[in-house]
Amino acid sequence: MSNVVLQASKLTRMFGGLCAVNEVSFDVLEGEIFGLIGPNGAGKTTLFNLVTGMTPPTSGRLTYRGQNITGLRAHRIAALGIARTFQNIRLFGNLSALENVMIGQHLSATTNTVSSIVGLPASRREENKTRDRAYELLEMVNLLSKADDKARNFAYGDQRRLEIARALALNPQLLLLDEPGAGMNPNEKAELSTFIRQMRQQFNLTIVLIEHHVPMVMGLCDRIAVLNFGLLIALGNPAQVQNDPAVIEAYLGD
Amino acid sequence: MNIALFFQQIANGLAIGSVYAIFALGYTLIFSILGIINFAHGAVFTLGAYFTYTFMGLAFGFNGLLAQQKLPFGLPFPIALVLGGLAAGAIGVLIERAFFRPLRMRGGDSLLTLVSSLGIAVAIVNIIQYLVGAEAYAYPMSALGGLPPSVNFGTPESPLIVRTVQIVIFAVSMIILAGLTYLINATRTGKALRAVAEDATTASLLGINTDRLIMFTFFLSGFVGGIAGTLVGLSVTVTGPYFGIAFGLKGLAVIVLGGLGSIPGAVIGGLVIGLAEALVPSQSSALKEAVAFAILFVILLVRPQGIMGRVQVQKV
Repeated sequence: MSNVVLQASKLTRMFGGLCAVNEVSFDVLEGEIFGLIGPNGAGKTTLFNLVTGMTPPTSGRLTYRGQNITGLRAHRIAALGIARTFQNIRLFGNLSALENVMIGQHLSATTNTVSSIVGLPASRREENKTRDRAYELLEMVNLLSKADDKARNFAYGDQRRLEIARALALNPQLLLLDEPGAGMNPNEKAELSTFIRQMRQQFNLTIVLIEHHVPMVMGLCDRIAVLNFGLLIALGNPAQVQNDPAVIEAYLGD
Repeated sequence: MNIALFFQQIANGLAIGSVYAIFALGYTLIFSILGIINFAHGAVFTLGAYFTYTFMGLAFGFNGLLAQQKLPFGLPFPIALVLGGLAAGAIGVLIERAFFRPLRMRGGDSLLTLVSSLGIAVAIVNIIQYLVGAEAYAYPMSALGGLPPSVNFGTPESPLIVRTVQIVIFAVSMIILAGLTYLINATRTGKALRAVAEDATTASLLGINTDRLIMFTFFLSGFVGGIAGTLVGLSVTVTGPYFGIAFGLKGLAVIVLGGLGSIPGAVIGGLVIGLAEALVPSQSSALKEAVAFAILFVILLVRPQGIMGRVQVQKV
């Protein structure tokens, strides 16, 4: 059977008296597209923050490919191959698109700071390689023609795609997408679904995604977890989740 | 004012202005990363001047713990200058590790960090006084090697004389400035610095070790501060443990004038204040500081965000 890539066990995060994530346990398997849905304030983004090390969990445990990553600092977790995008896009607005993507490759650099400053030949070659790879990624998200424009001048949809390219530059094995389709119309969402599948194929990714649009989630995800008020109320394939009384209650009930 | 005198004053203004610029960049680097003014920067400037003095193998005075002490060897000025800068950079790193980082880790208000940086400045001044006394120290004339004390850019009949020290100061400052510009704009580390300045959290999610970069920033800041201290010490003298305090205030005026957090702003601000001071006639030189701060006041009335500063758009 497939390997477990990410495992959360009894993961909990309190903010003051509020329990944003409450003893949530689940496994994400190698190569799957794992959906995370739930009403606003259900704790989905907090869960992403816990996995990426932006927020330490109050209790519980996170494992990535068998390694305990609970409480590890964000840059260490990134180094293990976990990348993410944000619901409210967080690009470096004053940097060009190309530079944004090149930052994402900072980690894979093998030469050190001093040699990069002095401009040793090895660092030069590496910088050129990084730049070429950044151009490839920009081409993949159709932003090659805007490589030198500052990110803050980009249209909304372009910013979303640039953020994905930057995350891919990390060479991740696990990619967390926080509402990648926010603000898109149904046609664009369909295109996005195709793009996400293609990405998984091309980069051998495991993907966890937060999305509100039900048809997109149902069509795209292999398995879905449903959060409500910090609790995991359902977990299964799209058909199982869709017919789960607790899910119907959470979405339609009061 | 005759033409020769005017020329001389412009040269003076450019020299001191370029030192203001690199000194102020020390504030700017830390401000753009942490959003905090490091008030210990003036004290690090002072330390840089003393470090260079020490590396040149010169003896201290009779007061203080290190009375009449000196290193068993003396290094030529250019090497001592660089080592003095490196030592000041190391002090910068120490300040970050011992004082700034613990407060940051505990989520301390930035005002607390600011006040503690003032405390560090006072402590450094006192330690200097305790170790080497309060007297002034001057670099020997031989610091510039075999260079003549002044250069005549005019003809023997109508001389345009500039002190060699001013030329050296200007040249060293420009080298530092060019180096920093290259570092920030053209290297991987510079890109990472700009990313951390904009959004440290996102940068760390992309695998950048922000703490290490912050340490590096404090090193750079201390390094340029220490170099600036030595250069000013070379031009006048190292006037005692309080040497950098007035300079520290001037540096603040420079970054506010140029626009907080803006690197070109710090450079332009430094040159504007340096030139303005130099053009105050020598018979009213007591008004030099007043003129500098009056310019600051007038420019801020017109552009509250500073010359190169960006208007902060308040999100509602």
